[in-house]
Amino acid sequence: MARGREAGGRKVLELQGLSRRYGDVVALEDLSFTVREGQMFGFVGPNGAGKTTTMRIVLGVLQADRGEVRWRGRPVDAETRRRFGYMPEERGLYPKMRVRDQLEYFARLHGLPAGDAANAAGYWIERLGVAERAGDRVEQLSLGNQQRVQLAAALVHNPEVLVLDEPFSGLDPVGVDVLAEVLADRANDGIPVIFSSHQLELVERLCEAVAIINHGRLVAAGPVEELRAGGGERRWQVEVADAAGDWVAGLDGVTVLEKHNGRLVLAIEGDEQRVLDAARSAGRVTLFSAVQPTLAQLFRQAVQE
Amino acid sequence: MRTPRTSTYDGIKLTARRELVERTMRDRSFLISTLITLVILVAIIFVPKLFGSDDPEEFDVGLVGAASQPLGQALTAQGEAAGVRIRTRQPATAAEAEAAVRDDSLDLAVVDGRELVAKDEVDEQLNLLVQAASGAVRAQQTLQEAGVEPGQIQAALAPPPLPVRSLEPVDEDARSKRTIATVAVFLLYGQLIGYCFAVSMGVVEEKSTRVVEVLLATVRPVQLLAGKIIGIGLVGLFQLAVIGAVGLVVAVASNAITLPPDAAGTIGSVLLWFLLGYAFYSSMFAVAGAIVSRQEELQNTAAPLNLLMIASFFVAFSSSVGGGDSTLAKVSSFLPPVAPLVMPVRIAGGDAALWEIGLSLVIMLVSTVAVVVLAARLYEGAILRTGARVKLRDAWRGARRQPVPGRA
Repeated sequence: MARGREAGGRKVLELQGLSRRYGDVVALEDLSFTVREGQMFGFVGPNGAGKTTTMRIVLGVLQADRGEVRWRGRPVDAETRRRFGYMPEERGLYPKMRVRDQLEYFARLHGLPAGDAANAAGYWIERLGVAERAGDRVEQLSLGNQQRVQLAAALVHNPEVLVLDEPFSGLDPVGVDVLAEVLADRANDGIPVIFSSHQLELVERLCEAVAIINHGRLVAAGPVEELRAGGGERRWQVEVADAAGDWVAGLDGVTVLEKHNGRLVLAIEGDEQRVLDAARSAGRVTLFSAVQPTLAQLFRQAVQE
Repeated sequence: MRTPRTSTYDGIKLTARRELVERTMRDRSFLISTLITLVILVAIIFVPKLFGSDDPEEFDVGLVGAASQPLGQALTAQGEAAGVRIRTRQPATAAEAEAAVRDDSLDLAVVDGRELVAKDEVDEQLNLLVQAASGAVRAQQTLQEAGVEPGQIQAALAPPPLPVRSLEPVDEDARSKRTIATVAVFLLYGQLIGYCFAVSMGVVEEKSTRVVEVLLATVRPVQLLAGKIIGIGLVGLFQLAVIGAVGLVVAVASNAITLPPDAAGTIGSVLLWFLLGYAFYSSMFAVAGAIVSRQEELQNTAAPLNLLMIASFFVAFSSSVGGGDSTLAKVSSFLPPVAPLVMPVRIAGGDAALWEIGLSLVIMLVSTVAVVVLAARLYEGAILRTGARVKLRDAWRGARRQPVPGRA
């Protein structure tokens, strides 16, 4: 979707050496990564890895013990943060407040004058397809519609950055598509969109860059393609018809990762051509291709280490 | 940038306004609770009247036989002097009179000027009046028989009443003031506990729904807390003023009380003490809300505050009934948790000296500022910690970790 800006956008949001403790518990330890202009940025990690803490620090809801967040080269202050859009995990809305009132209220808190706030609320209510429910209390809406209102609340002040904590959780496939479309649209306008998710296939499909964290530390960060291409050892899948014996056994720096119906998945250190030669001498090679690990595989590998 | 600067004042104003609008215009229960309170208030005013329908200030007395007749005039005159209306009639026979007493159409019958017939126990006041009238009539007859001039008899038996010299000024409105004070205690207590609880429930709502995270990305915790307390407090003050005004109009119109000349001062002091008590308690109730993550847990953390308020209510209620001069009432005027309920009662009853009011106000203001500062810090340290109940010590420390610079 919103690919094609891989190297294009300038680095706008920089997290530098963020650390935070809760009592004796280390929530974040020296976490750094950067997000580019117009980038869809996935933020992944197991439960309790520190994703929410990181997002709260970016939004200024929490203070970091050490480190800072910089926006366009300058430390983020309260005024800058007012132009950020934030969607906390789950809810994040007043259940008894009416949809339109709520969106206007959030817009005004972000500094919009009353008239602009009303216009912006009206626009996003239309855009996200909840116009018929604008006068209803949030608690009367279906979960999917509540999520749309939540997104509208994050967007209503036309933010320069979007930080979304698990925005896709609990959405049906149609809801996922609507949300993905809106986010891609924002990114195309040059707005960096950072979101956390456990749905790694989704992150892989939508994001051009990711950060993987575990136990409050950064494990990997960068464009998805680069991570997949350079992630760990290089993997190859090989099929050799009529192979004579175990032709792999004698090769240096080659590990068999999987063996399935005559197809081997190999981790090869260094030059792969010598392995191809060995395969050819062992039999008829019907398949020899590089395999890029999926984000899910990278994630598991990163988290296990 | 299209987003102009949002000042501290704007942050408080916006959050306070949300509370006001959502809790009055957008919530029908505000209107309902106001009406219910009014109904209860009117009931309190009228119920004594209903129970007092068998008016003790009116008596029917039967005079049987010629010997009883001279009593009639004296009895009416005695009654008038005592502010009691006594109607007399003349049953033909003693038996008829007894029957009338038995079916309550007569309160008392005088038979032949010698005997009083009552159904059971005779009304104390009526008995005194009849006995006095009987004595006066007997004395008059005796003097007449002794040949004393009618003028002299008149002078001897009905001397001009002795003038009274009061050592302290008489408060003609004491009863009305006392009534206002008693009603004020109930109203103050109801408003305080109701709206303080609304503050803690509002805090838990924001915390449990994570709205607070969105809010704290735009306003500081202190602004959010101040806006909430001010907004809810204004709703409570508005409701109190409406209820007080309507109640007063009803009470005066129905002659339940007469409006004392300083009624405005009394009502003003009730509103002032509501504000002081609300400021004192609400910030603590906010902390009770901030340290829990679910509404159900709030009952536990708010319980000590509820107890404190209930105890204060009983102290205040006893001084409104038993008088505001008691040592308990005097001492509790200077105890911040109790003073907001006791002081308006003592002021309304005219029991508080000026210096007491002044000192009580100063103590109240100083301790309220201290409590608010303390509560704001605990609130800040606890509001983002979801999950288990936050210990106050951890909340205190949690707040200190947040450096102040950079948060405008």
